[in-house]
Amino acid sequence: MTRLQEMVSHVQKLPAMPVVAMEVLQSMSGADTDIDALARRIAQDQAIAARVLRVANSPFYGLQAQVSSIHDAIVVLGLSSVRSLVLAAAVIAGLPAGNCPDFSHTRFWRHVLGVAVAARALARPLKRPPEPLFIAGLLHDIGRLAMMVIYPDELCSVLADAQARDCTLAEAEQRHFGFDHSTAGAELARRWNFPAEIVDALAWHHNPTQGVPGGLAGIVHYADAIAHALDLDEADSDQVPRLDPDTVDALNLDWEALVSVLTETRAGFDSFKPLLG
Amino acid sequence: MDDALTLPLSEVIPGTVLAAPVIDPSGAVLLPAGLSLTAAHLDSLQRRGIASVVVVPAEDPEALAIRRERIRARVMYLFRHTAQEPGSQALLHAVLAFRQEAGK
Repeated sequence: MTRLQEMVSHVQKLPAMPVVAMEVLQSMSGADTDIDALARRIAQDQAIAARVLRVANSPFYGLQAQVSSIHDAIVVLGLSSVRSLVLAAAVIAGLPAGNCPDFSHTRFWRHVLGVAVAARALARPLKRPPEPLFIAGLLHDIGRLAMMVIYPDELCSVLADAQARDCTLAEAEQRHFGFDHSTAGAELARRWNFPAEIVDALAWHHNPTQGVPGGLAGIVHYADAIAHALDLDEADSDQVPRLDPDTVDALNLDWEALVSVLTETRAGFDSFKPLLG
Repeated sequence: MDDALTLPLSEVIPGTVLAAPVIDPSGAVLLPAGLSLTAAHLDSLQRRGIASVVVVPAEDPEALAIRRERIRARVMYLFRHTAQEPGSQALLHAVLAFRQEAGK
C-alpha cells in the first residue's frame, strides 16, 4: 500500500461530520429553508449555539439588546451569517485536538477564520456568492487536522522540519509523505459528502490551476496569502506562500478593490474572534 | 482607552480625534468617540460651555516613522520568499500600504 492509499483508508475511519453541520450544508442547497426548524435544530446543540450567540453579542455588531436565541440571531445577523457561524462552530467542536508542541490549535483556527473572512471579502469584487467562499476558506486546511489524527508523531516531526528549513508546511509534508494536507482535506471532504465545489477548493488551494477553471480554489489560494500577509494567525515565523501568477491575473483585482478587501478582512476577522474563545 | 488625554477645549486643534464621547451635563451625547473634530465642532462645543474633551494624543512624526518602518520590516519578512514573485507584487504593495495606514 502506498502512503497515499494508506492515508485514504485512514480517513475513512475518522469521525463522521457533526450532524448539525450536515444539516446546515443541506439547507444551503435547498431552495426554501425552514428557518424555525433550522433554528430549533441549532439550539439543540448547546456548545454550538453558545458560540454563535457569543459572536452575535460581541461588541463588533454593537447591538442594543442582548441576542438570546438562535432565532433572534438569524433575524439580526441574517441566515447566511448564522449558517456560516454554525458550520464554523460545528467543525471547531467536532474535530479532536491533536497534541504536538509545534502545532497550536488556536493559531490554526485563527488562520482558517482569517482565510474564510478574506475569501468572503473577495466575493464582492469578484461578483461571487459569499457563503460558499466563507465555507471553503474555513475548511481549506481541514486536512491538517485529519493528518494530525492519523499521523500524530510523523506530523510533529514534519512541523519541526518546516520550521528548520523555513519552508511552508505543504512543502514539508510533500517531502515527507509525497502528498500534502490539501489531498487529505479533499479526501475528508468527500467522506463528509461536501459539495463538489468545496472538495475542489480544498484539493487545489495550493495548486489552483489544477482545479476546476473559475472554481473556488483560486480565490481560496489568494485569501490564504491575505490571511498570512495580515498576520491574522499571529505566528512569528509565518510566511506568505507563493501566489500563482496566472490565478492572480484571472482574479484581476485593482488597487482599490484590493485595499477594500484587506479592510473588510481585518474588520470581519475581529467580528468572528469570539468564536475562538 | 489607555493613552487617552484630557485637554482643555482651548488647546484642541481641528483634526484631533475624540477618544471618548463628548457628553453634556444632562447626559446627552453631543459627539461620538472616534470623531475627527472640525473647527465647526470646536465652535459648537465652546458655545455649549464644554470645558475639556478626551482626545487621542497626536503621534509625533519620529514615532510614526519608527512604527511605519517596523511594519515595513515585518511585511517584508512575511514575504521573504515571495517578494520577487510576479504573482505577489500587487498584494505585497497593497498590504504594505494598508498595514502602515492602519498602524498594525
